[in-house]
Amino acid sequence: MAGFLQQIIEGLGAGAIYASLALALVLIYQFTGIVNFAQGEMAMFSTYIAWQFTAGGMPFWLALVLTLAVSFAGGMLIERVLIRPVEGAHELTVVIVSVGLFIFVNAAAGWIWTFLIKDFPNPFPGGAIEAGGLTVGFSTLGILLVVGAVMGLLYLLFQHTKIGLGMRAVATNPESARLVGIRVGWTLALGWGLAATVGAVSGILVAPLLFLEPNMMSGVLIYAFAAATLGGFDSPAGAVAGGLIVGVAETLAGAYAGFIGSDLKIGVPLVIILGVLLVRPQGLFGRAAVERV
Amino acid sequence: MNERAGERGADPGPPGGDAFLTVTDLHAGYGEARVLHGVNLTVGRGEICAILGPNGAGKTTLLRALSGMVRVRGAVRLDGADLTRRPPDAVARRGVAHVPEGRGTFMPLTVEENLRLGAFVRRGRGEVEADLERIHGYFPVLRERLRQPAGSLSGGEQQMLAIGRALMLRPRLLLLDEPSLGLAPIVTRELFRIVQTINEQERTTVVVVEQNAHLALDVAGRAHVLETGRIVLSGSAERIRADEQVAQSYLGYRV
Ligand SMILES: Nc1ncnc2c1ncn2[C@@H]1O[C@H](COP(=O)(O)OP(=O)(O)OP(=O)(O)O)[C@@H](O)[C@H]1O
Ligand SMILES: [Mg+2]
Repeated sequence: MAGFLQQIIEGLGAGAIYASLALALVLIYQFTGIVNFAQGEMAMFSTYIAWQFTAGGMPFWLALVLTLAVSFAGGMLIERVLIRPVEGAHELTVVIVSVGLFIFVNAAAGWIWTFLIKDFPNPFPGGAIEAGGLTVGFSTLGILLVVGAVMGLLYLLFQHTKIGLGMRAVATNPESARLVGIRVGWTLALGWGLAATVGAVSGILVAPLLFLEPNMMSGVLIYAFAAATLGGFDSPAGAVAGGLIVGVAETLAGAYAGFIGSDLKIGVPLVIILGVLLVRPQGLFGRAAVERV
Repeated sequence: MNERAGERGADPGPPGGDAFLTVTDLHAGYGEARVLHGVNLTVGRGEICAILGPNGAGKTTLLRALSGMVRVRGAVRLDGADLTRRPPDAVARRGVAHVPEGRGTFMPLTVEENLRLGAFVRRGRGEVEADLERIHGYFPVLRERLRQPAGSLSGGEQQMLAIGRALMLRPRLLLLDEPSLGLAPIVTRELFRIVQTINEQERTTVVVVEQNAHLALDVAGRAHVLETGRIVLSGSAERIRADEQVAQSYLGYRV
């Protein structure tokens, strides 16, 4: 029983990382209706920036804050320069832009930092807390704390500030938002900035568990897609719940379904994506696509 | 049609000549599609002005042009200030509130959030709180539903919410696009009564686009008839009501 609980907690730790990347996907989808295939690569690039800061001797947490600020600005810039021109264009055009961004960011990271793997410092101490037969690593706890704090801040922003209210207005009815005087263009850029920031958190948290290299996020992105599909692409809370569920499912499958093992684990998100699309395409928390009057 | 405009349609301007809104030779459209072909009209300070016209005449486009939502050529002046080609947020900041066709409700947001969004460009928290109260005075049903998602309101309640949202701006000019759309006649009449009260109590100038010409001419001081992107007739509500062609086309009887 303790072993089972332990697996769940480990799963939540992994799930928190998927949740933050899924949240980034959902934010962009809500604001611009774009499925951003480059979200993982943007997170990877942010992680390299953090690595660069720490490699220069900067303390980790300062590097984190600076990286998040740079990511925020970078996300806004991408929206202004790349996404704005294709706003309202055919869906395929937008998909191509986001795939192009994927390839470009990936190549740029390889060009700047090479494709050799790098060690990324783990900000959390190595030990573990033992209580009631459970052993929970500081690393897992740290991840849960950081992601929890980020989600909490986002919640405050969206629910309790005027800017957050404006952002939700733009996400639900951009036309009407313009009429009440919200600057929709800037709000969309703000959404991209926030998404890039939240995504960066997932990259920086996952990097110590993997190795830092330009393709680091490809697996995480698939899990994040599963999480967003499960929770519903139009529900930020759903994306978070979906991420946690996917993380736990993956960990349990790896531990208990012997035939799956660690090699086939990557199949778990794909099964989830397919299952959700077949049974409940709008996701657990999403609204069914009904025509609005 | 031009002949008709020249003969009877030229805008004599509001009585007393105190024009609050002046639109001069306004052209607007969507891409290649030209919709407005040189609209001229004036609206007096504090008056209710009705815009009548058939489907597709460009009534919605005219309101969108006034609030900066479409690109225009020509001139729009509000109380002497030039509003031409200003973005919607700048126009809102000048006190123009626009209730769009279809109400523009933020469906998943609560009724209260919808109302607060109306005050988005305003500063001064205390005043905004006081205005929430004021709007509950006009629309008591909204107070009972403050925490509900706006999408759960009935059509009539949503239209009240839309007008309430517009009032949160403390507008000097209120633009209403077919407030009666989809509403029962009795609800529409109630709504127009409230608009009239708002106009009287707050001296808000109102431009209302309306298919229900009877109702619009009842509350309006003056009216303009828009056909295929041009004003073909302007005048006092009585004068418009007495016009033979208007009677045939919009009122359903012969004078
Ligand atoms: N977004 C748009 N893109 C292209 N054409 C448009 C757009 N909106 C309106 N039009 C066209 O502009 C013309 C005028 O439309 P508008 O909505 O202003 O008319 P209206 O007088 O408000 O009509 P109704 O009484 O049906 O609301 C129509 O021919 C319409 O097809
Ligand atoms: Mg219309």
